[in-house]
Parts: sequence; C-alpha cells; structure tokens
Amino acid sequence: MSTEAADGSSSADAPIRPLIDLTSRPTARTYLREAWRRREFAIVVPAQDLRAQNMDTTLGQLWHLVNPALLVGVYFLVFGVIIDTRRGVDNFLGFLIVGVVLFHLTQRVTLEASTSITQNMGLIRSIQFPRILLPAASVNGQTAAFVPALALAILAVLATGELPTLRWLVLPAVLMAQFAFNFGTALLVARIGTTLPDLRQILPHLFRLLFYGSGVIFSVDAFVQSTAWRRAFALNPLYDVITCARWCLLGEPVDPWVVAGLVMWCIVMPAIGFWVFHRSEQRLGA
Amino acid sequence: MSDSAVTVEVRDAHVSYRVFEEPAMGLKQGFARGRMRRQYRMIPAVQGVTLDLFERETLGLIGPNGAGKSTLLAAMTGLLPLRSGSIRGRSRPSLLGVSSVLRPALSGRRNILIGGLALGFTRAEVERRMDEIIDFAGLRADIDRPMRTYSSGMRARLRFAIATARIPEILLIDEALTVGDEEFRRLAAERIDDVRSASGSVVLVTHNMNEIRRFCDRVVWLDEGRIRAVGDPAEIVDSYLAAPGPNSR
Repeated sequence: MSTEAADGSSSADAPIRPLIDLTSRPTARTYLREAWRRREFAIVVPAQDLRAQNMDTTLGQLWHLVNPALLVGVYFLVFGVIIDTRRGVDNFLGFLIVGVVLFHLTQRVTLEASTSITQNMGLIRSIQFPRILLPAASVNGQTAAFVPALALAILAVLATGELPTLRWLVLPAVLMAQFAFNFGTALLVARIGTTLPDLRQILPHLFRLLFYGSGVIFSVDAFVQSTAWRRAFALNPLYDVITCARWCLLGEPVDPWVVAGLVMWCIVMPAIGFWVFHRSEQRLGA
Repeated sequence: MSDSAVTVEVRDAHVSYRVFEEPAMGLKQGFARGRMRRQYRMIPAVQGVTLDLFERETLGLIGPNGAGKSTLLAAMTGLLPLRSGSIRGRSRPSLLGVSSVLRPALSGRRNILIGGLALGFTRAEVERRMDEIIDFAGLRADIDRPMRTYSSGMRARLRFAIATARIPEILLIDEALTVGDEEFRRLAAERIDDVRSASGSVVLVTHNMNEIRRFCDRVVWLDEGRIRAVGDPAEIVDSYLAAPGPNSR
C-alpha cells in the first residue's frame, strides 16, 4: 500500500509542523476550503441516491416528472374548478403551476435536509469530513430532481398561451436566489434535526401553513386589500420567490418590497444557516 | 525523545457528560413552574488525563467499561468539547469506531465511492484504487451486494478498508478490529505498520488483551477517567488482569 502525499502529511523528511488545537473547530475559511475540495461528494452521493429511489416502482425515474404534474392537476381541479379562487388572475393554470412547482422544491429540499445528518451517522462516525457536505448533497439531489419538473412547468406555461418575453431571462436569477435560500434553510434544519428529531414531524405542518401564506393557489393582491398587509407578505421568502417567478413568466405584477425581500433572504438565510451549522459542527457526531 | 516527535499532546484533559436525572417533564408541569428546565448532573468521564503520543508508536488504551477510553478518543478527534485542559496534535486524527454501516441500501462498491469522496479523494482516484480497497476488505465476491446484507465482520472490514484508504497520520481505532477474523487482523496489522512507517501514530482501544500484546508498543490503563498506569504492554496487561474487584475484567 503506497502512502500518497496528496495532503502533504506523509513524507518522513517533511519539516516539523506546529501542533494545532484539536478541540477547537476550524475557522470558517479553512472549513469551507476543505468542503470545497470534497465537493464531488455532494454531487455523486445524491446522484446515487436518486438512482436508487423509485427503483421498485413501475414508472421508476418517471416519477420525478409525474409527481409534480399530478400535484398541479390536483390543485387545478380543487382550487381552479371546484372552489374558484381564480379571481384577479388572467392565466390561472400558469399561475398555479409556477407556484406549486417552486413551493414544492423548497419543501422537498428542507424535508430531505432535516434528516441529512441523522441518516448518515454511520458515515459521520467512520470518516472525518466537513459535515456541511451532507445537507449540501440533499440540496443538490432535490434540485437536480426538480429540473424535469421545471422544464415541464415551463412547457405547460407555454401551452397556456404565454409567449416568451425578455422577462424570462430574469428567471435564472430568481431560481439562483431560491437555491441560495434553500441552501441556508437546509443547513439550519440539518442542525436542528440532530437535537430535535421531531422536526421531521413538525416540518410538513409548517409548510402547510406557509403554503397558504405564500399565495401558491390564490392571488394575494386580489384577496388582501390593505397595502401594509401586502407588504407583510414580502417577509415570506417563498411568497417572494413565487411572485418574482410569476412576474418573469406570466407578467404578474410585483411589488418592489417583494424583490427586496427576495434579495434579503438569499443573502441572510445562507449566512444564518452556515453560522449555526459551523458553530456546532463538532457536536454533530456525538 | 525530542519534542518534535510528539504527534498528539494531551494536557490535563477533562471531559464531562451531561446526564438528565429525570425523564423530561410534561409541558404542563414545565409551564406551571414558570420555565422548562430539566435537572441534569455532569458525569465526569475523563478527569485530568495527560499524555503524549509519539511518532511511529502504537499506543494501547485499556480499562473497564466506563473508564473513559472512547470519550478520550472522541475528544482527541474534536467530537466532544473539553471542560478544561488542552489537546493539540499535528493533524486531525481519523477515528474508526464501531458504527454499523455507511449507507446500508447501497452496495459495498458504492459505499467505497462515497467514503472515498468524503475522505477527499477525487472520483478518478477512488476508481483507480477500487480494486485495491476491495481486495483489502476481502469482499471481491460480495462487493455488489447491498451493505445491509453484510455480516458484522464484513462491515468492519469494509469500513476499515475505506477509512484507511488514505493512510492517516494519526489513526484512532475504537474496538474496530474485534469482530474481524484472523486474516483481517493480519491486514489491519499491515495498515497499522503503514501508518507508523509514515511517521504516524496509532491508538488502539480494545478489551482484547491479545490485540494489545500483538499491536502495541506502550499501554495506558485508564480507570474512572484517570490514568492508572502507563508502560510496557506485557507488564500493564498482567497487572490489569490481576487487578481485583469489578474494575478488572
């Protein structure tokens, strides 16, 4: 067995290195550098897991596409046809598709990340590596699984009669902001999930609540008259994402406060998530 | 031995566990008292251990259950915070424990890939070493089966093979050899030699005195979180086995 000096730690004539404190956590910078060096982990692991998922079903990988399509169909039936919440929206189906698909992405990422540490105790106790790679793998995996749903959603929006405009070019920026927000949230829930495993039970209810406060199935502008209340919705990150995406694809109106809210969340949430996660990194294995 | 040969330096290390005395009280009672506070007690697990680990050394760590052996290893890895004292080292040690599996649903081969990436190999490097790792684990026939179908010995071999695929500078082994067969012990001995010949150090925690006699240059006997004796393996093992009372084996 050869000893590869890939990390420069093995050769006998290496200069004497000073001893480092083993009980303190690495600085944020060292930590991120180590994680970045192993970034392939956060790509390969979710790819393997996605392949393993739905292996035992007839439709297999198609479920990543069928699932969001069914979701959109059910909501359209309930809220577009049976209970009419269409008021104030020109293209309600397009409106619904954008809302449901984007909301669903954040929900999936968050649920998956909440168990990313607890599900990988075997790995954590066997190998030293920056644990941030585990929630990062959850985010990457769920985001990759979401790509076909996004493609489907855009096709569906085109089918409802929308034509691409220059605004569509802004969509990638909105999606990147959502990714950043999702990443921060993933780190936060991954950390909380280690001390409070009940989180997995709580999260679906939180998301149900958030669902109604995000204007996924109705236009907040049409239902909420007071300007002050409408602005309060800008504090909801998912409302910001969905409203901005609708502005891009459907030309729905967007309040400047909502844009400001989105910009704030995509910076603040990763910062909070990283701070919380990095602070307690070493206790995650215990 | 000069100072420069020290790989890990433990100074008056204290580690305590927080143990809750009563079951968590109900919400109602908690609010009735005005705030939710659970009663806990600090259980000292490691109480003032001072120790140097040297280059090219295999140190055995023995003692009865609850002596603080695993706690000390966890603290050396930075997994548990110290209450006081310090632990410094050349690099962060690799801890190999008795955890069950990496990813039970995936095959041994995929587990090697995931473990290798976590260790900092690139995908190409793992692929290149794949055969070597499989052979070391002795799992050529079973490598494409899900890991949950492996016996405990096979799992231990695979984990050991992955965790030492890149020779660590400081390797801490917590009971990880115990479930293996003779063939595995021989291979493990080779790996331990690899670490030592690369100027590294190994710490071995075990209840198996044959392992201690076979692998170790020096032994530390821990008892109730304190060092009871340090020295030559044969001598320490003899007095450990001869020690009376529930604290002996």
